This record gives sequence, C-alpha cells and structure tokens, in this order.
Amino acid sequence: MLEQKVGRLQPYLLLAPALAILTAFLLFPLTWNVYLSLHDVSLITILSDWKYVGIKNFVNLVQDSDFHMSLLVSLMFVGGSVALQFFVGMVLAVVLNQQIRGSNTLRAIFIIPWTVSAVITGFSFKFIFNDSFGIMNYGLSQLGLEPVSWLSDPGTVVWTLVVANMWHGTPFTVIFLTAGLFSISPVLYEAARIDGASKIKGFFYITLPLLRPFVIINLILITMWSVNFFDLILVMTNGGPLFSSTTSSLFMYRQAFEFGLLSKGAAVGFLLIATNLVLAYSYIKLLRSQDK
Amino acid sequence: MLLIEKSLVYFVIATYLFITLAPLLWVLSTSFKPNPEAISFPPQFLPSAPTLDNYVFVLTDPKLVISLFNSLAVSLASTGLSVAVSALGGYAFARFDFKGKNLLISTILGLFMIPVVINIIPLYIMLANVGLLNSLFALVLTFQILIIPLNIFLLKNYFETIPKELEEAALIDGCSKIRAFWHVIVPISMPGFLIAAILSFRFSWNEFVLPVVLSNRPDVIVFQVALYQFISLYRIDWGYLTAGINIALIPVVILMLIFQKRMIRGMTLGAVRG
Repeated sequence: MLEQKVGRLQPYLLLAPALAILTAFLLFPLTWNVYLSLHDVSLITILSDWKYVGIKNFVNLVQDSDFHMSLLVSLMFVGGSVALQFFVGMVLAVVLNQQIRGSNTLRAIFIIPWTVSAVITGFSFKFIFNDSFGIMNYGLSQLGLEPVSWLSDPGTVVWTLVVANMWHGTPFTVIFLTAGLFSISPVLYEAARIDGASKIKGFFYITLPLLRPFVIINLILITMWSVNFFDLILVMTNGGPLFSSTTSSLFMYRQAFEFGLLSKGAAVGFLLIATNLVLAYSYIKLLRSQDK
Repeated sequence: MLLIEKSLVYFVIATYLFITLAPLLWVLSTSFKPNPEAISFPPQFLPSAPTLDNYVFVLTDPKLVISLFNSLAVSLASTGLSVAVSALGGYAFARFDFKGKNLLISTILGLFMIPVVINIIPLYIMLANVGLLNSLFALVLTFQILIIPLNIFLLKNYFETIPKELEEAALIDGCSKIRAFWHVIVPISMPGFLIAAILSFRFSWNEFVLPVVLSNRPDVIVFQVALYQFISLYRIDWGYLTAGINIALIPVVILMLIFQKRMIRGMTLGAVRG
C-alpha cells in the first residue's frame, strides 16, 4: 500500500527540483510583475514599503512619447529582423539541401554566428559600422560613395541593428528549416522530375506545403526572440541617439536600470509578457495540431 | 544540375560565407594590431607588425582575469546543476504516466519560449530583497531558467530512444525504478548528457542581461559584463577589446564545431518535437 503510494509519487519527486527552480525564478517573478506594475517601486524605495498606485504606471506609459517611439522602433526592428532572417535563412537552407560537396562543413561554418554571444556580436558590428574608422565606410569610400552615419543617424540606426541581428540570428532559421527539409522524402522530387516539373515548381508545390509547420513555428520563434532581444542594441547604441533605437524591451530595461523607475519598467514588462504569451500559446496550439 | 543553377547555388554560398566569416576575421586581425593601428583610417587589412600585446593585456588585467574565472565557475556550475536536474525531470516525462503530465509539459514548453529578459525587473527586486544581488550562487540559480526547459525536452527525447526492455530486465531483478535509472539509464545516456552539457555551457557562458543586472560588482562580474564595463569605463581601446572578444569566443566556437552534428540534431529535437 505504502509502496504503491511512493510509486505514484515518484514522477513528482523526480520533477520537484526542476519545478522548484522554475517556480521560484521564472513563474513567480512572471506573475509578481503584475503586482509591481501596480505599485510605486524605484531604486530608492526598493527595500521599503511600496505605495499602491493603481494603473498610474500604465497611464504614464500611454502619455510617454518615448514609449510611443519605442513601439515604432520595435515594429521596425522586429519586422526587419524577421523578414531578413527568414528570407536569407530559407534561401540558405534550400541551397545547402542541393547535393553539393561539403554541405556539412558549410553548415558548421554557417552556425558560428549563432554560437557567438549577443554582446560579442554587438561589439564586432559596432567596430565595423563605426562612423569614422569603420570598415563599412571605408568600403563605401572605395566605391566613391559618401560615408553613412550607421549608428548615429536616427533614420539609419535601426536598420544597421537589423543587419547585425541578421548575422547573429539567421543560423537558427537555417538549422531549423534544414531539419524540415530533411523530413521531406526525396522520392517526391524524383516523381515530380519524372512528371516534368521544374525545380522552381517543385519548390512551390512540394517543398513549401510540406515545410509549412516548420515555417510557422520558425516564424513564431524568431518573432518572439526579436521582440525581447536587446543585449545587442544595448551594446551597439545603448538605445540612442536619444531614443531612436530603443525598442520596447530596451525601453523597459532603460526605465528600470538607467532611470531607476522599476515599476514603470514593470508596466512595460507586463505588456511584453502579454505579447509573448499570445505568441507562445499559438506556438503550442500549432505543435499540438501538428501531432494529430 | 544545370550550369546556371549550379553557379547560382555557389554564388549564394560564397556570398554568405563571406558575410559569416568577414566580421570574425576582421576582429581577429584587429586583435593583433597595436591600439592606434586598430582604428587607423584607411584601415589596414593585416597587422603591419603583429603583436600579442592585446592578449597579454587582457589576460593580465586583474579585473578581467577575475571575471574570466567567474565566468568559468558559473558556467560549469550551472551546466552541472542543469544537467542533473533536467535528467531527473526528463526521465519522469519519458517513463512515467501521471496526472497533469500533459499540462506540465505544455507549461514548461511555454515557459521556455518566453525569453528570460522579460523577468529581469521582478528578479532584480526579488533578489535585492533577499540580499542575493551580486552573488555568483544566485547567478547559477537564475541561469537555470534559461537552460532547464530545453534540457528537459532534450533528455526526455533521448531517454525515449532507449528501449524499455533494458530497464524492465533490471526491474525484474528487483531493482526499484530509481535504481534502474541510476544503474541502467545513466551510463548509456552519456552522449545525451554531453549535448545537454554543451548547450548549457554555451547559454551560461554567453549570457549577458541577467549578470549585468544581477551581479555587476567588480569581484563578481562575468567576462561578458567585464567587456561591457570595459567599454563604458575607458575610451574604447579596440585592440584590447577585439582581443577580449576572441578570448570570449574561443571556448564556445570550438565546442560547437566539434559537436556541431549532434548539436543540430539535439536542438531540432528539442525545438520541434516537444
């Protein structure tokens, strides 16, 4: 009797350490964030009692033009990053899937940027895109073009960041879609070829439909990551000049740790969490429907 | 393949090969130049008189050396902890049927999807209130949330590829399920643990946002944070910084290159199947 009971408890005991850590450091902060966003917490009051302020933090946000700006910057950064990473990643995955010599070695090389940390990527591209001595402007000058203020012109800076983020993020899409391509039987292409279909037709009528679940999941994941990703931007521009490259997630960070307004940051965090939950939910929904 | 197709394919590959490698090679080349030459314009592609001074500077600067050791300690500890904890959890999912299993799997998967940076403010306030800011131990614990979900799925999938008969034989011999796990499953799962360990190490070694907020006192900073503070403290000395970049890169790139094939399989298993 007792043994049976212990037996039934076993899986929970095995999971207990993992669940304890995840609850304490992930689930609890995630929900506690709501409480924080409804109080007045700053770096000064962090260890004392916090005053309940209702939705004042959110009202402040709605009235903050820098926050409006950050939504626009996020839209450009996420849109640009996802479009570029997906397109380039798809082209590379398909190209590497042709029978070419050394494709495994090539894949290994193409993965390197993904193993490089965001900070390191940021520094490297800050160096390359430097206004005065960067090699990009040297390249432009060799071509007889005017130098560009890659990181100090408010109209250009987001796109420079998108390029750096493409370098860092594209390998994930290549790997992910390659896994998808491996799952498609070559027999299908063979049959299409015998029927006289061209390669391009094969791509649109065989590859794309069968790759669909991979494509959707990949898009959701890279969207989510781009929404939250700010290490790279922090290193390259610190969100500047002024707020012109401050995405919403970086806005959250800056409010909290640059200006000390922790609960205002938490209010931004709440909005970001909501965005993430919607994306995560649709991801799991899709996974489940794919299983069936 | 037709000739035109072939040349298109190779053109695409060559272009992206250049895009991938050029920044790395440029940083590598710069790290062997003296500081003034590093920012000379027009730039010099190769160092005129290659020097190891930048590396010597990074590897002898007390603050940077401490941070390298901190990084190593934190990465190894969090790798060990996460593989151990995830192995237990993964085994529970792979071999037991229990109430709430599907809900738990979905929750952990969902949590894994949500990037940890979102949690940075509540985590900071929480650790400040329990006096655990600027502690390497707290850093190891918080790093777990980056890694555990992925490792659980990785190891769950790995255990599921092991035939059940192996344990059943042990069970018939009177072993408990836990002992069967320890004596039968663990020894033959080493390749799976290895992948999980390497991925964990990569995540811990590269992590920046959590340590820059939670642990930024000079004696407890990790290397990525030290490099970041390095640029905000002084005028940027690009020679030193590029040397630092390469030192940060080397361990991870080497690990990933050696194990890239298994890594790809592990990652896609973790991400696709759930």
